[in-house]
Parts: sequence; structure tokens; C-alpha cells
Amino acid sequence: METLGYLMDGFAVALAPHNLMFALLGAFLGTLIGALPGLGPANGVAILIPLAFTLGLQPETALIMLTSVYAGAMYGGRISSILLNIPGDEPAMMTCLDGYPMAQKGKAAEALAISAVASFMGSLIATIGLILLAPLLADFALTFGPAEYFALFLLAFATLGGITGKNPVKTVVAACIGLMIATVGIDTTGVQRYTFNVLELYEGVDFIIAIVGLFAISELLFFIEDKAGGGKEKMTVNKLTLSWKDIREIMPSSIRGGILGFIAGVLPGAGASLGSFIGYTLEKKIVGKKGYFGQGDPRGVAGPEAGNNGASSGALVPMLTLGVPGSGTTAVLLALLISLNITPGPLMFTQNADIVWGVIAALLIGNFLLLVLNIPLVGIFVKLLSVPPMYLLPIVTMIAFVGIYSISNTTFDLYFMVAFGVAGYVLRKLEIPLVPVILGLLLGPEMEKNLRHAMDISDGDWTVLWNSGLAIGLWVFAGLGLILPYIVGPILRRRMKVATGTGGPESD
Amino acid sequence: MTFNDRIFGVLMIVLAVAYGWGASQFPVPFGGSEAVGPETFPYLLAVVLGLSSLYLIVRPDPDNAWPWSRTGIELVIAVVVLLLYTALLQPLGFIISTTLAVGTLCWRMGASLPKAYVTGAVAGVVVFLIFNYALGLALPLGLLSFLEVG
Repeated sequence: METLGYLMDGFAVALAPHNLMFALLGAFLGTLIGALPGLGPANGVAILIPLAFTLGLQPETALIMLTSVYAGAMYGGRISSILLNIPGDEPAMMTCLDGYPMAQKGKAAEALAISAVASFMGSLIATIGLILLAPLLADFALTFGPAEYFALFLLAFATLGGITGKNPVKTVVAACIGLMIATVGIDTTGVQRYTFNVLELYEGVDFIIAIVGLFAISELLFFIEDKAGGGKEKMTVNKLTLSWKDIREIMPSSIRGGILGFIAGVLPGAGASLGSFIGYTLEKKIVGKKGYFGQGDPRGVAGPEAGNNGASSGALVPMLTLGVPGSGTTAVLLALLISLNITPGPLMFTQNADIVWGVIAALLIGNFLLLVLNIPLVGIFVKLLSVPPMYLLPIVTMIAFVGIYSISNTTFDLYFMVAFGVAGYVLRKLEIPLVPVILGLLLGPEMEKNLRHAMDISDGDWTVLWNSGLAIGLWVFAGLGLILPYIVGPILRRRMKVATGTGGPESD
Repeated sequence: MTFNDRIFGVLMIVLAVAYGWGASQFPVPFGGSEAVGPETFPYLLAVVLGLSSLYLIVRPDPDNAWPWSRTGIELVIAVVVLLLYTALLQPLGFIISTTLAVGTLCWRMGASLPKAYVTGAVAGVVVFLIFNYALGLALPLGLLSFLEVG
């Protein structure tokens, strides 16, 4: 009941007119960001962070807006999956399988509407799950000492690649690079580390500059390399003829997908890609021969789409309760929290209860807004999809410049951002994942702080790090997170490949 | 071909050694040394990075091709445009530098010349107006500062 009271307070925050307005704006921008090629959700949220500061928004307003962007981006991803057979981001991949064939059959409007309803159901289920699970987990997390936190951070890095990840060692390398960058600056004892006497480095590297550079600028370079400036052929959208019966038919698929997705989102190392993949395969199994999966079965759109959205809300659970994000986009949201001077983790539920519950309520409201926005306004989003990337990406880059410039009004930061962009391009070419770099940047200071606390308590005895049952458990899971991709990874990856390989006739 | 990961691995080992050496040069913090000093965490990182880079050298992944030819030049052009954009942002002002930078990028990505620079100019003016008047953030006017309304 206590939770319900908090939730009501949360609604009071989220329903304040200006918060509602920013939620709407965020939902709209988010859908746009998700739909446009070359602007993933992490990238989009990152570019908007400096702008949220420029606007001088209250912490809860900024967080509500960007959470809506996050939710919206998940909705938007499906538009390009269905109409162009290009997934906006990785989890949207499975939506292509039946969504694109549906569009080819002239049922694009139905596919879009079904996916909107399924997304809504997935997010709704997962948000309810979040409301139930988060306070419990936060209470549990209060028992964590510094040693447990240190192990938890290791677990976060180890599972970041996910069990479908390719090369866990590259995740480790990426995490080290991020953590190393995080050590630049004056540390807690007042010692200058790796500043090379450059004044701008004394306060360390601003992770927002790093994030925007790594994502936005490297994306521009990749588009130039792929010569993808022209964009793809646009699919025409027919007039919507969707009956209640159709919606009823996809409901079981959406509910199953949503629950599975939520679980996949909460668990470290699973993530939204796996959520939508499981959602799809399960649907295929349950429906069996009666379905026509791969040829435009509506349930094949609903299952993965609900799974994808469920997972993205589920991923907020570890981020909010433990301060440990499980995906790129939640890492960016964590960046926002840290820059708002809010320490994420169990204490946030007591110290910043209004913000946490405001955000959770905003997630619920945002979902309704998105459903309402998405069905009638889908035409506008489709029009925007036809803006070729050759105009879009330079403008996005310019907005990234403006955002970073607005933080400190110096060009030093901009040079830094370009450098990070080039580095991001090189790392992506080497298949070194960027998310661990960012997570390293974000978690580095906390990780070192917890290591110091643990060692101070034990008087320099290193065994304190694996002295409690909980800590040992976390270490074991971290170890599994690194080893499992070698054992289970190839099998899962092959299956996902087989599934998507048979998708569209021109899937790329 | 597995050069990429090997070269990267070697570079990262060099980084790890340099980083670890850097940590050994930190002055002892005021108040004497503690169990975990400023250098402990960096040492850990250097060791982990060194070992994992070694693994990359021993078991590298297959290479992705680098864009040497023309595409490579396009990439260099794009980076140079971004650097020039940064350098000229304050002297030329936001609108002019944005027109040039966004225009050039659009053009190099395949838009026709007039369309590209018109896009750049429109984007620059619109963003400038939004930021200066709606959001109250002063972007530099540069050469156009004579337009400033007192």
C-alpha cells in the first residue's frame, strides 16, 4: 500500500501541466528519434541531455522528458522496421520479420497500429512489473556494502555484452578504456591524475561530451562511409481498417511478449534484443502451424514488439534501484541522473522519492500519450522518414554541436567531442562495443570509491571483496557473464541469424 | 586477415604500460598513504587492460575493411569540416559557420550544391532564432553581429 501512496504522489508530479507538456514533447521527439534512420535511442537521448540543461529544467521535468523520449524511441523503432525493413535499433530486428511482409501486402497501416497496441501492452505490463519489483529490489540493495557494490559493478560490465555478445574480451577492453578516462582529473585525495597540467582536464572528462561524440559523430562518419545518404525507397501507407477483433486476436501474444520482455530486461545480460527474440520464437511455438509467421502474421508483429518494449521498461529496474544500467540507453539516462546530482541506487527511493515515482508515473502516462500520438499521427512520422539522411545527419550533428557548446560556451569541448567521434568510429570498426566505454566513464568514480571504502574497512585486506555470500554470488555471475557467451553465444546467435535471415527478401 | 585486432592489442598494451607507469608517478597524498591510494585503481585497470589486450593479440577476430580509397578521403573531409566548424564558430558566428559546415556535409553526402547550402542556411537561422529567442541561450553572431538589436 505504501507503494500505491508513492505512486499517487508520483502522478501528482507527472500530471503537473508543465511536466505533462514536456512528457508529450518527449514522446513526440522520441518517436521521431526512434523512427529516423541513424538516430538510435541512446544517441537521441544523449543529444537531448545538454538541451535539457540549457532549458534550465527542474530535475524531475528533465528526467520525465527524457524518459518519455526513451519510451517514444522504442515506439519509433518499429516504423522503419515495418515500412523499410530497416530496424531502427537492434531489438526492432524481429519486428521486421512479419511487419515488412505485412506492409508489402498493403497492410502497412494495420501493422503499424498493431505494433503500437502491442508496444503499449508490453510497456504497460513492464511498468506495472517495475512498480512491484523496484521497491523490493531497492530494499534488498540497502543491505549492500562497498564490497558488494564493487562486485555488482563488475557484474554490470561482465554482462553488458549480453549472452548474445560476440567477444567478451572486447567488452573488457572497452570497459577498461572507459574506466581509464574516468580516472582523469583530481581524485578524492586531491591528487592530480593524468591531467598533463591541462586546466580543462582538472575536473575530469565530461561524460556527456564523450557520449555525444561517441554516438552522434561516429554515426555521421559511418553514414558517409556506407554512402547511405540517399535513403531507401518509401513504402506507401494504406488507409487503416482495424477492427476490435484484430486487436483482441493479438492481445494474448502481446501479453506473453510483454511479460517475457520484462524478465529479459531486468536480468543482467539479456536485454531488449533477447526479449524480442524470445517473444517471437515463443509466439511461433505456441501458435504453431495455425500461424503464417514470416509472411505477415500480425501475431509475429505483436509478440516481439511487446517483448522489445517490455524489456526497455524492465531495464529501468536495475538502473533505478542499483544504479547499474543494463543497456546503452539506460546508461545515458544514468548519465543524466548523475549530472543532475542525483545518486542513483537504493537511496534514491527514499531521498528522491518524488523524482523516482514521478518518472515511473510519467512512464505510464507516456505510454498512453504514445498510443494516442501514434495511431493518428503515424502519417507525419512516415513523412519524416522520407527525409534523406544526407540532410538529416548534418543537421543532427549541428544540434549536437549546439548542445555541447551550450554546456560551457567554449570550443575546447567541441574539439574533444570530435576526437571522441573519431575514436568511436575506429572502435566500432574494430568491433569494440561503445556502451562499456560509456558505462566505465559513468561508473568509474563510484567503483573506485567503493573499492576504497571496502579496503579502508578491512585495513587493506583484499579478501574482503569476496567475503560475504552475496559478494561471492555476484562474482560468480560476473564470471558466468564472461564465460557464457563462449558457450551459449554461438548457438543463440546462429538461431537469431536463421530467424532473421529468412525475413524479408532484401534484408540487409 | 587479422591485423586490426593485433595492432589494436599492441597499442592497448602500450597504453596499459604507460598508464600504469603514470600511476606509479603520482605523489603520495597529503596525510600519508592509505590501503588504497590514488594509484591502486589505475594499477588494477592497467593489469586488466594489459591481459585482455594480450588475448586480442593471440586470438584476434577477422578484420573489417578500412575505407582506404575515395571513401576514406570523404571521411577525412568530414572530420576536417567538423574541426573547421569548431574553429570558426566564434569568429564567423553561428549562422555563417553552420551554413558552411552543414552545407558542405550535405553536399559531400550526395545533395546537390544549392540544396545543400540552402539546407545549411535555413537550419542555421532556425536553430539560432530558437536558441536565442525561445531558449535564451546566446549563440555567437560573429560577423553578423551588426544585426544585433540593441
